[in-house]
Amino acid sequence: MHDLTTTTRERDKKSAATSARRRDRLASLAPLAGLLVLAIAFVLVGSLRGVNMAYSVQTLVNQSVIIVIIATGAIFIFAMGSFDISLGASTLVAAMTGALAYNATSSIWVLLIVCVITAVVTSLISATLAAVFNLPVFVTTVAMLSVLGAVAVALVQTTGGAQIRIDSSFAREYDTLEMKFLVAGVFILLCFFLFNVTRLGRVEKLIGGNPVTAKLTGLSMKKTAIAAFAIAGLGVGLGAFLTVLRTPTLTTTTATDIGMNVLVAMVFGGMPISGGARTRIYAALIGGLSMALLNQTMTTLLSESSAGNGIAQIVRAILFLVVVWIAVAGHRGRLLPR
Amino acid sequence: MKISKKVALGVSAAVGLSLALAGCSSSTPSASGDGGGDPVKMCVLVSDATSSEALGFKAYYTDYIQSNFNVTFTYSDELADANAEKTAMEGFIANNCKAVISFASADRGQQIQMAEDAGIFYSVATGTLPEDQYEEFKDSPSYIGAIGPSLDIERQAGYDMAKYFVEEGDTTFAIFGGGIPYYIDMHIHRVAGMLTALAEEPSTTYGGQKEFGAILGKIMQDGTIKVADFSSDVYELSGYVEAWNFGDSAWQANLAGVVASQPDAILAAGTGFAVFGAAIAGTDIKIGDIDAYTEENKKAMEAGSLAYLAGKFTSINGPIFAATLSAVEGSPIRAEGDTALALEQGYWVATSVDQFTEYLAADTAENPVYDKESLEPFIGTDASYDEFAQFVSQYTFEDLVG
Amino acid sequence: MGTNSMRRVTGTLFIPVAVVVVLIALCSANGVSLFNTGDSFLLLVRGVATTMLTAMALSINLNSGRFDFSLGAMATLSSVIGATTTLNLGGGFPMMAIVTLASGMLLGAFSGLVYVLLRISPMVCSLGITLLYEGISFTITGGANVSFLLEDDLTSFAKSPINMIYVIGAALAVMYLLFDRSRFGFEYRGLITGQAASVAAGAKEKVNAVSTYAVSGVLMSMVGLILASQMGYIEAGKLNFGTIGVMFTAFLPMFIGGYIGRFSNDKLGLLLGALCTTLIALAMSALNATSTVQSLTNAFLLVAFLIFLSNEDRITRAWRRFTRRGGGGTSLSSSLGEPDGATSLRGANTP
Repeated sequence: MHDLTTTTRERDKKSAATSARRRDRLASLAPLAGLLVLAIAFVLVGSLRGVNMAYSVQTLVNQSVIIVIIATGAIFIFAMGSFDISLGASTLVAAMTGALAYNATSSIWVLLIVCVITAVVTSLISATLAAVFNLPVFVTTVAMLSVLGAVAVALVQTTGGAQIRIDSSFAREYDTLEMKFLVAGVFILLCFFLFNVTRLGRVEKLIGGNPVTAKLTGLSMKKTAIAAFAIAGLGVGLGAFLTVLRTPTLTTTTATDIGMNVLVAMVFGGMPISGGARTRIYAALIGGLSMALLNQTMTTLLSESSAGNGIAQIVRAILFLVVVWIAVAGHRGRLLPR
Repeated sequence: MKISKKVALGVSAAVGLSLALAGCSSSTPSASGDGGGDPVKMCVLVSDATSSEALGFKAYYTDYIQSNFNVTFTYSDELADANAEKTAMEGFIANNCKAVISFASADRGQQIQMAEDAGIFYSVATGTLPEDQYEEFKDSPSYIGAIGPSLDIERQAGYDMAKYFVEEGDTTFAIFGGGIPYYIDMHIHRVAGMLTALAEEPSTTYGGQKEFGAILGKIMQDGTIKVADFSSDVYELSGYVEAWNFGDSAWQANLAGVVASQPDAILAAGTGFAVFGAAIAGTDIKIGDIDAYTEENKKAMEAGSLAYLAGKFTSINGPIFAATLSAVEGSPIRAEGDTALALEQGYWVATSVDQFTEYLAADTAENPVYDKESLEPFIGTDASYDEFAQFVSQYTFEDLVG
Repeated sequence: MGTNSMRRVTGTLFIPVAVVVVLIALCSANGVSLFNTGDSFLLLVRGVATTMLTAMALSINLNSGRFDFSLGAMATLSSVIGATTTLNLGGGFPMMAIVTLASGMLLGAFSGLVYVLLRISPMVCSLGITLLYEGISFTITGGANVSFLLEDDLTSFAKSPINMIYVIGAALAVMYLLFDRSRFGFEYRGLITGQAASVAAGAKEKVNAVSTYAVSGVLMSMVGLILASQMGYIEAGKLNFGTIGVMFTAFLPMFIGGYIGRFSNDKLGLLLGALCTTLIALAMSALNATSTVQSLTNAFLLVAFLIFLSNEDRITRAWRRFTRRGGGGTSLSSSLGEPDGATSLRGANTP
């Protein structure tokens, strides 16, 4: 941000520019450094406490992959300066419809396709409502949160019980590391391509950084929003697919914490919450892995004290604030951010 | 505030290293008891960590059992669904738990499967496995078994409670359904038992039904209790509340409405006093609850608010612990045909302050009825299944305390 | 002059009156009464008090573009501190109230300090603060509930309608004096609309921000106190953002309040907004609506009202065209169409 009230001379301007670039680079490396530190801590703590490292690493992947996929898709929404708090509820509804479809057809492809289509449709409803009626997107997604919760309850009641479940041996067969790497790998590469190679990423960063300019340059905000929500919906659908495979028993409380975990993962990965030029598509990957490493390490360290979970959360909170602070350093002006 | 990047990154590295140091220097948990060797690590899955019942159970394990046997206990977070359970199990397995004792029931099948794959033991406390799941896993050497109130006992508890108030002459009732909207089986069976007891009166039906099985089916289908579907010439169902949405104005209004309808007794499927205690203060309304023996419930009984309590006593989970530790030490207690245990335990019922005080005094976390002397004969010995089953079946106050 | 005050009164009262009329009609049509129990008045004023306080706490920061997820966590932690201290020292309700409110102020101020010192996005800051406060609550009690069900002097506060009315009155008075009649309030408004200009003119932005957060902390601690006194226990063990739900209930009253505030005072607007949503909740309970129906209705009303707000111009223009074609006369728009308050809702819309 430029501070209009100060003046600098030529030499100062040049050194100010280089140091700004250096700060920028360091700030963008901070989340990566954080990931490294957490990984070292994880290995150290794990070996000191005699943890089953092979299983632990597998657990890391299991626990982070769904959040990473959904968060990577959500970056397209946040890059534009938008916000979506209903991601958890969309995941749940998509997972439930997919599971019901699977129970009717016993086909994994049907499961996948129905999950994705449901999620994309739900996402697009939010986007369209916001676009057509000029609503602030955040509040629309708050309303969608309630609506999707009610839909989930209705879906569960169709089975006459409290859960929607698919055959667990089928789920176990496909709930493998290979499947997770495949789905995550394909989706992340796709997102990387869309964000960094096509125009979409640049357009979104502009809209997020300076919406007025974006409008004046003739960019279609609505079309971009719809594209962003569609991609996010794809991410949610894939996340829902993996959720069904991981836990074949779905209840109305499944996936509810995904909404906030996605936010935390993105922020841990250095993503600016209001979007803009400093958006990085790999923020979710770094953040998701960091969170999983931190959770595992905390579990190992604090499992035997009764207030352990509270202390673990306090540590998480402090690290969260520190990571964000470092990542934003160098981009502060005289005024408080909003 | 200007701080250079080097300092900031250095701080993060320091944080990371200090985490490692903390892990290294943190004291190993105390575990006295028989013999040397590393304490056996047992992990506990819980779906309720805040009610006084859950805290009592935890105190029994972590205070009494941990100091009298060579074990340590690690508790999970409050687990809300199958995914949370899976995450917790993964953490347990990675941290080398030898056995998992489970109070969480969102997806037991998954938990047992994970235990089997990891080669650790698994048992169910204060609950039972449904028939089909028991058939599926009974031969697995990893699955030790389940000891707790079966759904039939839950039904009986609700039935007995309603019968008690009917015999006291009460005719107007309100029901608290607890976790029925979340399909918590034990609450559903308790309330179905209550309605079945009331339906024994000729003119009374719920949804046109009188039999337990039919009433249960209707509740499962509706996912709630519908006051309008209760019909009787003798009794009145003046109101119904479920769940614990204290922050919701509409739920509050509903609660107030139920209290204002002035039932003779509120039949609660669980946590009755916690929910209604404040609201009924100063009225004549009595609460009947299926909960636990805690100081708070005792005070409620002394104040006259609580008239009937069917409760799990604090050390009720002693036998399942004994069976689990025995299995870890290489002497599993198996039922006929080398199958897993499926034994029933029931409730202690108190209808007066004196009874309640007696029960509460007889079984505390410091001095439990299932103490070291009573559990030791079954751990790592060649005690037979029949002896153990006999031991578990004697769960009433009279049997245990006399 | 006359038409101006007529317009203001109509604008202020239109929505609350309409809500009451519709609800009473709906209830009569279904054969139930809106106020069907002896406790109805208590439920009403208590609901209005807690909703209004939450909406106030949310709006004072949201007006400045600062989203705060930590409202619920502040309410919980301050009431945990108040209740635990009181139970350990054997004190009564006055002690619990003082400790709770004081903790609320300190927690709010701390939250503001973190934001001001770290200079990170306020929404992200509030995420961290939420995790922190939830973790502290859990650690204090080991995850258990703080229970005082049988302590009558602690639980009687929330059972008296008069106490709730005092709370509402005191909150309105304090907020009015603080935000409409003091220098702090003037700087606050200046910073909302012209951040750079106000700072350049000498407004102490950081002090103002921290103070606003502290006020929000006091408001939420009052909510925590009322809820604790009403329930007789406090759930201190909610982790992983379990406490953020309370914030969502404040959106609709806040938006209604903002709209009404254009015609009169925005604090009065928040009171009336809270009144509307509490009445709706009471009606739904009287109609025995399931919780699914209730949350759907709330979501629908929120979206519908927002659609109205975001498209007011279009609607007013269409209405004018319609009434002009219909033969003139006073139209709805001419009595409600010209807002004369300063605070616009646009700022509150952007996260």
